[in-house]
Formats: sequence, C-alpha cells, structure tokens
Amino acid sequence: MAKPLTRLRVVQIAFGLGIAAVVGRAAQVQLIEGPHHRRAAQAQRTERVVLPARRGTIYDRGGTPLAVSRDMYHVGVAPNELVNARRDARTIARALGLSSTAVQRALRRPYAYFHGPFTAMSVQPLRSLRGVHLEQELERFYPRPDFARPIIGRPASDGRPASGLERVFDSLLAGTPGRAVVLRDRQGRRYESPARLDAFPAAGNDLILTIDADLQDIAEDALIDAIERYQSDGGDIVILAPATGEVLAVSSRRADGSTPPTAFTAVFEPGSTAKLFAAAALLERERVGDRDSVWGEAGAYVMPHRTIRDDHPEGWMTLRRAIEVSSNIGVVKFASRLEPAELFETLRAFGLGTPTGIEFPAEARGTLPHPDDWSGTTAASLAMGYEVAVTPLQLAVAYATVANDGVMMRPTLLREVRAPGGRPLYRHVPEPVRRVVRQHVARTLRSMLRGVVYEVGGTGTTAALTSFDLAGKTGTARRAGPGGYVPGSYTATFAALFPAEQPEVVLVVKLDDPRGAYARLSAAPVTRAVLEQALAARTTVLNRTRLSRSTPVPSEAPLASGTVPYVMAWPTTLGDPAPVARRVPDATGQSLRGAARVLHRNGFRVRLRGWGRVVRTDPPPGASAVAGSTVVLYAEPRTDR
Amino acid sequence: MRPRGRFWVASWLLFVLLVLAWVVARQTSAVLTAAELRTVREARAVREARAAELMGRIRAARSRQVLIPRAERLGLRLPSDSEIVMLQTPLPAPR
Repeated sequence: MAKPLTRLRVVQIAFGLGIAAVVGRAAQVQLIEGPHHRRAAQAQRTERVVLPARRGTIYDRGGTPLAVSRDMYHVGVAPNELVNARRDARTIARALGLSSTAVQRALRRPYAYFHGPFTAMSVQPLRSLRGVHLEQELERFYPRPDFARPIIGRPASDGRPASGLERVFDSLLAGTPGRAVVLRDRQGRRYESPARLDAFPAAGNDLILTIDADLQDIAEDALIDAIERYQSDGGDIVILAPATGEVLAVSSRRADGSTPPTAFTAVFEPGSTAKLFAAAALLERERVGDRDSVWGEAGAYVMPHRTIRDDHPEGWMTLRRAIEVSSNIGVVKFASRLEPAELFETLRAFGLGTPTGIEFPAEARGTLPHPDDWSGTTAASLAMGYEVAVTPLQLAVAYATVANDGVMMRPTLLREVRAPGGRPLYRHVPEPVRRVVRQHVARTLRSMLRGVVYEVGGTGTTAALTSFDLAGKTGTARRAGPGGYVPGSYTATFAALFPAEQPEVVLVVKLDDPRGAYARLSAAPVTRAVLEQALAARTTVLNRTRLSRSTPVPSEAPLASGTVPYVMAWPTTLGDPAPVARRVPDATGQSLRGAARVLHRNGFRVRLRGWGRVVRTDPPPGASAVAGSTVVLYAEPRTDR
Repeated sequence: MRPRGRFWVASWLLFVLLVLAWVVARQTSAVLTAAELRTVREARAVREARAAELMGRIRAARSRQVLIPRAERLGLRLPSDSEIVMLQTPLPAPR
C-alpha cells in the first residue's frame, strides 16, 4: 500500500487533471465553438421573417377601385391552451362561420388549423382568446370579381401564372417586402419586437387605368345581351378615345361565359370594315375623283379565277357610294387602280399586321401578306377585308386614326402611376405614332362613314342615332372552318365614330357567328344601344357641352361647363398638326428586322436597300427628321472572317 | 471605520439601480407602444375589411346587371337618344 503522501499526490494530480479538462472543455466551448453555439441559440429563439408589401391599388380613370389588397387570416388553435374549450369552440365557430360540430371535431386534434382565409372582421372576436393563433397574409380583392377581368388579370399566386395588367405592371404594383427578426418562445410563438425591424415593407404604386368603369359596365352588359340575343359564339367590344389613344372600355366574352382577352389576342378577317382602308389608299394617292364611277355589273363581276358578288346590285357608283352600300364590286374595281405595294403600304400604315404596342401581354400582331406572297386574287381580297386578319383593338386603332384627322395614336391602358403617398410618378402623354393619311382625306373618309349610317341604302342605318351624328362601317365576313369558309357563318362587325365630326369615341363591336344576322342587323344595333346607354349614363368621357351644340364648335372655344379630365397635349388645334421632328435613332450594325422595329417605334417609315446588317441610314443617325417620314436602311451581307 | 468607501459603494449601487430603472422604463414603454400599435393595426385591418366588403356591395348594387332589371320591374326603361336632351349652358361672361 502506498504511503499516504503518495496517495495524496495522486489525488492532487487527478484533481488537477480534472480541473484542466473542465477548463479546456470550457475554453473549447466558449472560444472555439462559441460563435457556432451563439448562432444556434439565436436561431432557436429568434426568427427572420419577410414582411409582405401591400400591393398597389388599381383604379379606373374616375378613381373607382378595381383591385385592392386587404389583410386576411388563417386561424390556428392549440386546444390544450384554451381556457374554456367548450365556450371557446362556440366562439370560434360563430366567428368563422363554421358549424360547431366541425370545430369540435377539429379541436380533438393536437393542433387545429382553419385555412380560410378569413377577414379581419371575422377574426376580431378571436384575438382575445388564449390558444388562438392568427396567421396574417395580404390578399388581392376585386370588388366586382368579373368586372374587366381579362384586362385587369390576376397576380401570380399558388403557382398560377399572373395575367393581364397585374402581370404587365407587376414590378410597379408589387412594392418591396420588408424584413424583421421576431422572438420565438419554446412553443414556437412569435413575439414582435419593434427594435428588430430591419427594413419596413414599401407598398407598391397605385395605377390609374384609362378604363371608364361606367362605359366598361355598359360594354360588358351590352355584349352579354348581344351574345344571348343573336345566339352568337362570342364577341368583343372596344371603345377608344381617338385623340389620346386611351382605351376606355374593352369587353370580350364567349357564349360559355368565359372571358378570354380576345380583343387583344384573337384575330379575325375584318371583311367590309377594311374597305375604308382601300378607299384611304385611293384618296391619299388621288387615284379617284369625286365623280369617278364604276359599273356595278348587276351584282356579279367575273374576274380571272374568281367572281365577286354584291347582295344588293348597284348600277354606276362612286367610291363614296361603294363604301355607303358596301359594294364588293365597286371597291374591288376602284382598288385595281392601286399597285400592290401601294395597297400594302396603306394597310400597313393603318397598323394591320403589326402589334399596336399596347401594354398587354401576348398581343396578337394579326396577318398582312407581303405583296411578294400575293396570289392573283389577293389584291381584291384585301380590298374587301379578306386574306388579312386583325384584332378588334387593331381595327379600333385604325378607325381612330381616321377619327383623329389621319394621325395614328398609340393605344394605352395606363393613365397614371402614383406612389403610395399619392405623388404622381407617371402621366400618360398622348403619343402620335405616324400620320397615315392627310387631314382632308380623313375628313372625306369620315363623311363617307357618315353616309353609311344616314344615306338611303347605307348598310349602317340600323345604328343611326336621331339626335346625334354617327359615322360607321359594317363588316360581315365569312368565317373560315377547317375545310374553308363555312356557309351561313359570319363575323359581324361595326366600327363607329361618335360623333361623326370631331369624334370623341371610336367603338368596335364584333360578334362571332350571330345566327343568321348580318352586321347591319346585329353589330350595328348593338353599337347604337351602347351609345344610347353611354349618353344616358353619368360617364365623363363624353363632352356633353360639345354634344349639346347643334353645330360642332372648334376645340379652341372656351368650354362652358362639363368635366374636363385634364388638358391634352395633342392635338391642340383643329388645323393640321405641326410636323413632329424626331432624332433618327442609330440602327447601324443591327439586323434589318431589329432596325426596322427601332425606327417604327420612333414613328418612321422604313425602306430597305440591300440585305444583311444595316451599315448606314439616310438620314444618318442623330439627324432630325419629321415623324412619319421615310428612313432608308442600307444593308450589306455580314462577312465572317 | 471607512465612510468614504461605503459612500462610493452606495453611490455606484444607486447609479446602477437608476440605469436599470431607466432601461426597464424604456422597455416597458416600448412594450406598451407595441401593444398600442398592434391594437391600432387590428382596428385598421377591421375597418379596411369592412370598407372592402361595403365597396364590393356598392359596386355590385350599382352595376347594370342589378340596376336595369330592377328599373324594368318598376316600369322604367332606358331612354333612346332622341329622348336625351342636353341643355346648353351659357358661356361664362368675359372678365
């Protein structure tokens, strides 16, 4: 047995080693592993949360909210925390509008969850209950869910893609989410701590659309009524302000009640409504005089490979009469005075075959064949509105050009963007795209369109208003099926300018296959009904002061009363608008397609010389040129070295 | 007896107590403000929900789908354009 002193030494050493181990471990935990444990502890008692930003509100042009954000709640209940389970279950059932049995059954689980979502009003009585946990979320709310739905669309949620203007303007509406750190207890409950707010959520901007809620309501109601009355497959109504390009109402509907945005995305052959564009080409190039006339061929005009027919044969007719009675033969004979390129250029200038550039996703561009691809009958077909396809919006924009004295305006759905505090960030300024026809030509065309409605034999007399002047054009186009044109199936269209002089609105009504009804018996009466309702409504879109005068007043005259929404920058006078000088953009080095796109966007016409990459332009980049003038693109094939 | 040392200890203790009391008061105030903020937010959310619900009901009640059938039941109808008379108002006198 060892001596006591030795044993004591051994014990001392053992103690020393033990203490050293403890100190070493403490050093390891605190110095080496300290940061890791600190992070773990923090993660255990705190949580970083994203604070959702309130999405901006969408208003119509009069300030009526069309889409707003509101707080909604999901409700979680921990039954073991309830003070009086039976009484609290009754309170929960009553507040959430659920049956007591369902709530009692749910409370048998360790944690009951009622997804809802429920409004703040519903969950208010539950806030004071112990054991009830509320999960807040922001929900998009549409005061009238079906109102202008295809235009407004829906934001992305639950994995569904966004649509409509909610999609296009998502970056403006969405705002910036905030960040915060909240404290968490053992049960995982969160405790708000004002000191831990990293970043406030910034609410999204508010949008003011060009849509007028009253007109939109009228258009939607009229379309529902028309589809039912004419047993139509569907239809579209577009209402535009020609002076500004603002879209005032758009309604699209199918017979099954669905509302795809076909006014922007679906194309159709415009039929006789396109005869106006052939007339515009003839008048602009002075290929027809006031007294020039063609023979109506007793209703059947035999061309090589084709016979053109008129339902109501005319004798000798002027171009004006051909438009008024919508004579296929008359228009085809007159249009034969145009070179293919001339007709093509005019149709292209009216925007056919090109997207309008409106702020809407997936806008269709329509079709317009290039003269190189024309067959022997294409020129005649185009003059009558066949072999060309347009959207209702494109047709409205083209007619708005005639209404606006020949100047095409870029259509828009957005009037204003406001910051959450109300500060305006953007205001729409009417944007002329190009001059398509001269002012006097546009006036002559409007006069022809007035004759369509008011002259004897005119095809649009069923749209005529008694007290107000209206101008318009019917179009009854055969509808194509898989095996060619379907007998007895038509697209009925009416494009109207109201009032006929200094039009304030342009209206396109299109009905798909109204059973047995031509445009004069379907689309035209619908147009009249829409205008009558608009006149009787309180909408501020129509300038009643001007309408009240028996003779049109020049726009320079002071307005006696009525609401003037805002002062328009364009046009400011009735005279020929002053040419707008623009800087020619630099398109050198680009592909022909890209260069043409850039120049078109800036309001220039384009003529091509050569093929490949653009090497220079005439006028050169940076030079000042009048909007609507032609820029020649010189291109050379790209050489790969 | 060393009164100077006790005095300093007491002073430090008092200082520490005052600082702690200040911190506690600030925290209490913050908690109360946070509770008040929460109450105000809840009240706002309730009012917004109410406003949204009312807005929806007003929009639905003002819609033509609701108004026109009711008006027709009352024997009313939409006027034709010839029945709409817009009165000219005199131009303002030049100043």
